[in-house]
Amino acid sequence: MTRRTALIAAVVGIALLGVGSVAWAHHAFAAEFDVNKPVKFEGKLVKWDMVNPHSWFHMDIKGERWMIEGGSPNQLIRQGVTKNTIKIGTTLIVEGYLAKDGTMKAVGRNFILADGSRLFLGGSAPGQQLK
Amino acid sequence: MRFRISAGALVVVAMMWLTAKTTADQQTGGASAAKPAATTTAKPAAAAPAKPGAKPYRAPRTPDGQPDLGGFWSNATYTPLERAQNINKEYYTEEEFKKVVADARNRDEEQTTPGTTADVHYDFTQFGLDKSQHTIAQNLRTSQIVDPPDGRLPPQVPAAAARAQAAAAERKQQGGQYDKVQNMPTGSRCIIMGGAGPPLRDAGYNSTYHIVQGQGAVMVLTEMIHDARIIPLDNRPAPAAGLKQWVGMSRGRWEGDTLVVETTNFNGRNPIGGGRGGAPSSDQAKVTERFTRISDDQIEYKFTVEDPQTWTRPWTAVNYLQKTNGPIFEFACHESNIGVSGILGGARADEKRAAEAKSGSK
Amino acid sequence: MTRKWIVGGAILLAALLLISTSVPGQTGYKAPRTADGKPNFNGIWQAMTTAHWDVEAHPAAPGPMWELGAQFAVQGGLGIVEGGAIPYKPEALAKKKENFANRTKLDPEVKCYLPGVPRAMYMPYPFQIVQSPKHIMIVHEYAGAVRTVYMDNHTDAPADSWMGWSNGKWEGETLVVDTKGYLDTTWFDRAGNHHSDALHTIERFTARSADTMNYEVTIEDPNVFTRTWKMSFPLYRHVQPNAQLTEYRCVEFSEEMLYGHLKKKASE
Repeated sequence: MTRRTALIAAVVGIALLGVGSVAWAHHAFAAEFDVNKPVKFEGKLVKWDMVNPHSWFHMDIKGERWMIEGGSPNQLIRQGVTKNTIKIGTTLIVEGYLAKDGTMKAVGRNFILADGSRLFLGGSAPGQQLK
Repeated sequence: MRFRISAGALVVVAMMWLTAKTTADQQTGGASAAKPAATTTAKPAAAAPAKPGAKPYRAPRTPDGQPDLGGFWSNATYTPLERAQNINKEYYTEEEFKKVVADARNRDEEQTTPGTTADVHYDFTQFGLDKSQHTIAQNLRTSQIVDPPDGRLPPQVPAAAARAQAAAAERKQQGGQYDKVQNMPTGSRCIIMGGAGPPLRDAGYNSTYHIVQGQGAVMVLTEMIHDARIIPLDNRPAPAAGLKQWVGMSRGRWEGDTLVVETTNFNGRNPIGGGRGGAPSSDQAKVTERFTRISDDQIEYKFTVEDPQTWTRPWTAVNYLQKTNGPIFEFACHESNIGVSGILGGARADEKRAAEAKSGSK
Repeated sequence: MTRKWIVGGAILLAALLLISTSVPGQTGYKAPRTADGKPNFNGIWQAMTTAHWDVEAHPAAPGPMWELGAQFAVQGGLGIVEGGAIPYKPEALAKKKENFANRTKLDPEVKCYLPGVPRAMYMPYPFQIVQSPKHIMIVHEYAGAVRTVYMDNHTDAPADSWMGWSNGKWEGETLVVDTKGYLDTTWFDRAGNHHSDALHTIERFTARSADTMNYEVTIEDPNVFTRTWKMSFPLYRHVQPNAQLTEYRCVEFSEEMLYGHLKKKASE
């Protein structure tokens, strides 16, 4: 299964732009989450903390409470997303990687709804549809 | 005939007279929260070689007669700071630029392989944070740098390399990047983002600004970490040398329809990058920004960097602030910066595992 | 016969005086106007109270660090709460006391977190108002906190935030700012006075002279308080020439207490 990212683009793009102090040290994610511990969770949303620099999806996964890291909500808010957009109790399937520090956290590489569609945006590349 | 007007009636009349003086402005009705999506519409690029005989644009005015720079703006751009080595002209053709954008879009949409470091990240496109989903500063330039005319940073002075070496040695003294929070980048620590400058730089995502003009001052708010720079316009003297700041200290004035902002007193800790292989700027940098509204949708943003401790000569670059929609939702960064604990904790966990493996090995 | 008229006139005069001072915003002073005809509040302002220690009346007391002695101890104050005491529900008062007991660990100010409203308005740091027809910005020196007051196109908060979502309007001489969409993570002061995410504030700014304003805030939070209540105090303009905010980027000052325990140990 392949997925999208703009990580490469961001690194390449930023190198081209010569921006001195980059908005985000993206490689730091690999320091926080373990590339050798991929996970696929299915659970119910307890709360989407629409915070910066990264939002957090609090989920009930098989009776345990997990925090899954997502992106800044700011661009979504400009497109009309609010705290009422995803209902509490929504089923989410999350593919990601576990935190290295042993806490019940993961980074969400993909957030997928019960019907197989992607949460929010993206997913128009061929082969993107994840079922 | 005598009127016996009761005190009570007079009180009522007086109250009506007093409250009538209190004019309540009409409040516009509360609209729904949803706003139409920001689109990167394929507009004709505004910044192209000037057409001869074109009538110059005149910006609308604020109520007190200043050119109106107010509103929400994006400086997300596909235009690199420096011209690529194989290009020697100032502007792309529209066709060429379409390819630049398409190539960048393809890179945005490239798929990472599971189990690789690159895959350990949320998907930018899912949150609308990839550049192709931003309002792009429309222009056909091959570089932001317009002076030197070759579109590239000027050479650096020897002091710059010396400074960079000293800084690298100092960093090495402080240990590994995740040994302590102070060794981490200032953006990761939520102290400041590069986009705040000055000069204002494409932040990579959320590269949005809010400009508000009040009497005697202009506020430029950088989205990430809510960095609000308030620029006085009252001809006050240059700031005292002893006060150095992350964003320096700015002084503004109007030259015709151009807002000119000079900034000095940098503490040098959020420097301007030195480009390929170059040292970043010093605390002696002086940045001059020129904001000129060139259309309803664009502000030309021209900036000059003078730093005799870094470059042999001043250099000037042009980017554009493209009108976009708000809001800028509060970017409270430090408050929820769970990543720092996660990264430091993860590094300590890795070290512990390594130490246990070492001591436990047969 | 004339006595009735004198008495009536006196009553009327008293009534008029009462009305002129009790109608909200009527200080009798009319501020200079901006070009769009509104009271001009542009400038740098600051409160002069000790409410940042404790919004209720309180005596001087030792500070959190004995090493700093009299340099950093609690200043006493008359309080800014109208009526004296904050009308807590019993369980909320218990929480306040627990906050107070653990304040050096729990106070978001120690961590350089955004101070919220109304705390930012009476912290001992200046703030600057940049006023345009559509947006009035309140920019605080402390932590560079920013409040955006939307003067038109009022909408609901898309999500909750530290400084809340503010919709503003003019009522004659008074700027009325209605704010909701608060997180529950801020305090009102260093004494542990707190609120929930149901907090709703209504602030009224009215010029009382060229260089002073009356500030009043109504606090509503049915989760925490038994009724709405108010705080009020004057705001003073920074009149020195070339006044400006300077940076108080305090994240660095809080990093040791937040992350010091995660440092790599020296022995390795």
